[in-house]
Amino acid sequence: MNEPSNAAPLIEVSGLMKNFGTAQVLKGVDLTIPRGSVTGLLGKNGSGKSTLLKCLLGLLKPSSGKATILGEEPWHLSTEAKAQLGYVAQEVSLYAWMRVRQIIEYTAAFYPTWNHDLALELARRWELPTEDRVGPMSQGQQQKLALILALGHEPDLLILDEPVASLDPSARREFLSTLLEVTRDENRTVLFSTHITTDLERVADHVAVLQEGKIVYHDELDDLKDSVKRLRVTSESDLPSSFRVANSLRAEVSGKHALVAVVEVGPTLVEEIESRWQASVTVEDLSLEEIFLEMHGDA
Amino acid sequence: MVNPSIQFEVHPSSGVPIYRQLMDQVRAMIASGQLADGDLLPSVRQMADELQVNMMTVSKAWSRLEVEGVLERVRGTGMRVTSGVASGPLKERKADLKPLVEPMVTRGQQLGLTDGQILDVVKSVLKERKR
Repeated sequence: MNEPSNAAPLIEVSGLMKNFGTAQVLKGVDLTIPRGSVTGLLGKNGSGKSTLLKCLLGLLKPSSGKATILGEEPWHLSTEAKAQLGYVAQEVSLYAWMRVRQIIEYTAAFYPTWNHDLALELARRWELPTEDRVGPMSQGQQQKLALILALGHEPDLLILDEPVASLDPSARREFLSTLLEVTRDENRTVLFSTHITTDLERVADHVAVLQEGKIVYHDELDDLKDSVKRLRVTSESDLPSSFRVANSLRAEVSGKHALVAVVEVGPTLVEEIESRWQASVTVEDLSLEEIFLEMHGDA
Repeated sequence: MVNPSIQFEVHPSSGVPIYRQLMDQVRAMIASGQLADGDLLPSVRQMADELQVNMMTVSKAWSRLEVEGVLERVRGTGMRVTSGVASGPLKERKADLKPLVEPMVTRGQQLGLTDGQILDVVKSVLKERKR
């Protein structure tokens, strides 16, 4: 990646595989997460996002391959490394009978360093009254509380598994804005998974696409949008079935017209197509959702 | 002073990266006179707060406009609009304009206009600008 950082990456994964019985979920994942980045891990349901995050957190043991997180092997993570790590699971389960204040104090007791002022300040800012009980709180509020509990020890690395999947649209918007606030700290690295492209677009600066157990794309979100384009080709006569464009994700040919999604529109590509197929070409921008669908071949 | 009348808006789900949307809006505001030479732009943090986007996105837009000579960094205050006339080699500035002209020419041909007629339209727009 083109990250100007010389610090060691916080997460490094190579050739990571994970099987459950005969089911191969991760089929050789390669991924490097640079320090200070906010990465959205994007994949369909069942693509292996949770499995990958759990392997990184040491909650699952990889079948083979290599992974390091904060410079250590996840399965044997030291207490020091755990103290730099915050995690919000997909299913938030908190003690329903506790009050917000109590659950913060309870969680604080597990950590050698805990910024109590920060936890209370976040509870105030995110409108969680400290005397309220956890049980009756909405899912959105519980999600925010889980985030406070994951941030109180001021971790360098924050991992969230589908943090907004269970929220309604307005709670989702609100949670994403809290997440934006969390990413303000330039020293903090955030990795979150989602299957909803719009969740990613405001928050993330990097995107990693997990498809059938492999990372098929990982770069800056802006670069992805800048490089993947759709070409609308119109020829003077019918295009032959042999019509091909280099670096294309998908091509749809019908008569004189063709729609082609290409990974990299080089400066000469358009001219090449125009002269080779006697066609005119227009270049269209694609939203992340469209790019995602093109990558999965079901646009 | 930050000009209070300026309003940015972003569409995160657009195919145009957010940083480019911001750059385009700054350029458009300068072109339309909403932003004048010496005006200050909101800080990266303010913009990120207001538009609910990643701070890196805003800072990328601001620094690219700085490289282009549209903005200049003022120590401790933020970004200021410079004279608005882009510098750089003429060839580059022309190359910059080309992708905007291409769709216009295509549309003109679709409308059955001749080369001369397309140029007439461009000339009339230029003429209106001068008034």
